[in-house]
Amino acid sequence: MTTERLPGKRSPLLTLAMLAFLVYFLLPLFWLVVASTKTTGELFSSFGLWFADDFSLPGNIRDVFAAENGVYGRWLLNTVVYAVVSAGGAALLAALGGYGFAKFRFRGNNALFGVVLGSIMVPSTALAIPTYLVFSKIGLVNTPWAIILPSLVNPFGLYLMRVYAEDAVPDGLIEAARIDGAGEFRIFWQVAMRLLAPGFVTVLLFTLVATWNNYFLPLIMLNNPSLYPVTVGLANWAAQASMGGGGSGGNVLPLVVTGSLLSIVPLVIAFLMLQRYWQSGLGAGGVKQ
Amino acid sequence: MRTPRLRLTRVLAAGVAAGLVLAGCGGGSDDGSGDTPSSVSQADIDKAMQTPTELTFWSWVPNIDKEIALFQKKYPAIKVKLVNAGQGEPQYTKLRTALKAGSGAPDVVQIEFQYIPTFTITGDLLDLRPYGAEALKDQFVDWTWGQVTGADGQVWAIPQDTGPMGMLYRQDIFDKYGIKPPATWDEFAAAARTLHTADPNVYLTNLAGNQNGAWMGLLWQAGARPFKTDGDQITVSVNDEASKKLAGYWGGLAKEGVIATDADFTDQWFQGLNRGKYATWLTAAWGPVFLSSSAKDTSGKWRAAPLPQWTAGANEAGNWGGSTSAVVKATKNPIAAAKFAEFLNTDPESTMMFATEQFLFPATKSLLSNPAFTDQKPAFYGGQQVNQVFAGISDTVATDFQWPPFLDQTVNDWDETVGKSLADRTDTVAALDQWQERITTYAKNQGFTVK
Amino acid sequence: MSTVTAAVPRRRRVASRRAAAGYLFVAPFLVVFVAMLVVPLAYAGYLSLFREQLIGGTTFAGLDNYTRALTDDRLLGGVARVGAFFAIQVPIMLGLALFFALALDSGALWLSRVLRLGIFVPYAVPSVVAALMWGYLYGPDFGPIAQLFDKVGWDAPNLLGADLMLGSLANVVTWEFTGYNMIILYAALRAVPTELYEAAAVDGAGAWRIAWSIKIPALRPALMLTLIFSVIGSFQLFNEPQLLQRLAPNVIDSAYTPNLYAYSLAFTSQDVNYAAAVSFLLGIVIVAVSYTVQLAANRRRS
Repeated sequence: MTTERLPGKRSPLLTLAMLAFLVYFLLPLFWLVVASTKTTGELFSSFGLWFADDFSLPGNIRDVFAAENGVYGRWLLNTVVYAVVSAGGAALLAALGGYGFAKFRFRGNNALFGVVLGSIMVPSTALAIPTYLVFSKIGLVNTPWAIILPSLVNPFGLYLMRVYAEDAVPDGLIEAARIDGAGEFRIFWQVAMRLLAPGFVTVLLFTLVATWNNYFLPLIMLNNPSLYPVTVGLANWAAQASMGGGGSGGNVLPLVVTGSLLSIVPLVIAFLMLQRYWQSGLGAGGVKQ
Repeated sequence: MRTPRLRLTRVLAAGVAAGLVLAGCGGGSDDGSGDTPSSVSQADIDKAMQTPTELTFWSWVPNIDKEIALFQKKYPAIKVKLVNAGQGEPQYTKLRTALKAGSGAPDVVQIEFQYIPTFTITGDLLDLRPYGAEALKDQFVDWTWGQVTGADGQVWAIPQDTGPMGMLYRQDIFDKYGIKPPATWDEFAAAARTLHTADPNVYLTNLAGNQNGAWMGLLWQAGARPFKTDGDQITVSVNDEASKKLAGYWGGLAKEGVIATDADFTDQWFQGLNRGKYATWLTAAWGPVFLSSSAKDTSGKWRAAPLPQWTAGANEAGNWGGSTSAVVKATKNPIAAAKFAEFLNTDPESTMMFATEQFLFPATKSLLSNPAFTDQKPAFYGGQQVNQVFAGISDTVATDFQWPPFLDQTVNDWDETVGKSLADRTDTVAALDQWQERITTYAKNQGFTVK
Repeated sequence: MSTVTAAVPRRRRVASRRAAAGYLFVAPFLVVFVAMLVVPLAYAGYLSLFREQLIGGTTFAGLDNYTRALTDDRLLGGVARVGAFFAIQVPIMLGLALFFALALDSGALWLSRVLRLGIFVPYAVPSVVAALMWGYLYGPDFGPIAQLFDKVGWDAPNLLGADLMLGSLANVVTWEFTGYNMIILYAALRAVPTELYEAAAVDGAGAWRIAWSIKIPALRPALMLTLIFSVIGSFQLFNEPQLLQRLAPNVIDSAYTPNLYAYSLAFTSQDVNYAAAVSFLLGIVIVAVSYTVQLAANRRRS
């Protein structure tokens, strides 16, 4: 599935048009890089899409990590922990469940799957408030679990894994393993998981993005800045930049800009490195329906 | 097919049952008034202050850990854990959800004056009278004490800083166009026209359509008293004569196009201040220091004066902002929490530090008459004794202004009616009626009897 | 089937053991699903039947919150606004995504890998960061867009003004998600057997013809998927307007989108019960629109 198609006749016109679009998609990121090299004054006085005279990026990065006793580093770490644990857990649950729904006939299989699928349409922001109330009763508010537990449910991930498992794991293979006397869970771990890997990585990555980008849930769940993920922290700094912070906040804007840049680097790298997996994994979800 | 669905229903039922239990726990806060509290003895206080205790304190004031350190030095048994849960509204949102949830709320919290009734109506603040708060009354500027006192004399919070409103203006721009600092609003309007005609890129001032705080301060000065709460009865009159006078005045200037109505505390607005788009800023006593750090390029060009008056020779002012330390009723350590709130805002070293380190505008009479504070001559204002100007204004703030018990709602409604009319330069007087209508509807929905 | 000789009862026993294994596989997901989705949802549903007042406390309200919502102009206005947003933004975004996917798949591009990844990269940018960036780019006096207009000597449009705000928001969302949709479509295209094209090419069909009559029909399920996600995304719009609100407080009001309204009701108006009802109704609207979209698509096919 990953073999490139034979190149047809190349079209300069089409390539040029696509490059123009590429500029549109990369321009804001270019702006972010340029802006990260500027001081507050230069952010407003110099032309936005080109570098100013001074190159303040190293200083800005140092400031980002030094501000408020290094809280930014803490935010990044929190985000990584929340995202990795949630994504790993969600992908595992989806793989188990998807495989179960795809390869086993049991009563209620379709009905249960239908309920899960239908839940994709539940507005997630609508759930956040009741979830908050439920969590506060069992003492989970203002803990990492308040972010991780709700992120473990990924109905679309389950759907994707079910579709993927149907195709990627041949029934004959499972049957052969059974005849060899392997238990169902051994079959899953040793035979099916290997075949499910692209789907698994896809769900992993997309949950990773969803948790990494999560804003609303941590916004209401967490009170303690040392538990914030980087999104809420940055939004807080952005608000502070405009409040001015009673005289001490005059230089928050470069922190917001540079902090934003630093926050997207890890995800972009993850996507670039794992592209082979997620591209084929996503394909499965779109082919079948 | 039957079994799993049944099972699912059972789970759903369990969820609902859990909900019932939760709802049962959540409700039932008493309104905090009624019973007159008995005083706590000095022996109890001494004992509490020597018992190892941890207090959680929510505040957004930068570097407030310095004042906390003073407290902990005096009371080593008590440890204060500081949390910055956001400034203003975001913090109140968090506070409210934590209070509703019944866990995660702090012991002591930073609350602006105007939000006190919003949290006392739900019975969430502790009356500080039993802990000797009434004795502090004389230390504070009269109107600030009025703001923290409840209908039955409860003391809901200890004032920390204040924001009596004045006018900061650009001396250089005034000189260039031959404008004298206006003493009345009529002169102000005339100056607005003169200035904008002379230079279409400059406005005499900016009245932000998203800044209810400034509007309320101006209402306060204009003599309006739009809210009065008495138990479950509330009077709402945001479209009375005084309000209409104000709305007609500002709406008229906005419609004429001689003042700016940009949203404030935005990048665009900061640029406006830096680049001389606005020749004055109608602001509060915390404004001068704020401006000097956010419009550095304009150092030396600004001066301070009282607000223009509605009647020549009058001397009225309103307040915008400033805050207090309040104790949350659910605290497990009421004595330590109350004494902490008291210490922060009355200890001479602590209050002086607020004024000189964080540049909060003081709420205590002693500091406002302390030459070390009033005689400062910041270069940003060309050496003018700005603190002296605002200390004088503080004395002229009326003491009887009241806030509604659901302030975030009225602010929100203001933004979308009156504020929007300013920004869009449409009929501001008509917008007052919409505002009145929306507040009234909300109050009725919340079970108030609206008069 | 190699087990022709197996006795019937034994096979049944095996089947039931397998069913038990099936339950075990799906159980972990379902447990978390119930705890994190069903319980809060049920709780929200329960809450929506009550009224909590500052004066008078909590009382049972029946369906009052729902009837109130159905006549609430602010809510209906918000639904209409996201409906308009959906009608304008989604066709543009999916049209672009489809065009990009077809172009990448045609083999007629130089640098196709760079293009594919470059267009996809915005998806990895958190919406908080995307909104902060675009908010700055839109800035009326100092933003780069205004600066460019200024250089050319034209009046810059106020991208944060009331007239253009919805378009500005649509642009942010398009920027964020076109690449994501493109990848779904592209991956689906790669799965179409090449023989189909080759046969058509032999018959003399041009690239556009092949795209139109072979590739697009083959993409139907993938397009449907992207469309459903877009319905959900549009009607749930929250992060972007919430973050741009700070820049244009008089343009984006608290009922600008239904989700923003629900948030404001819960946290500003302290009306959690009504907020729950609004969220519920919003969920129903989303289900209804998704269903209609699918029906319409299926009808056109038959």
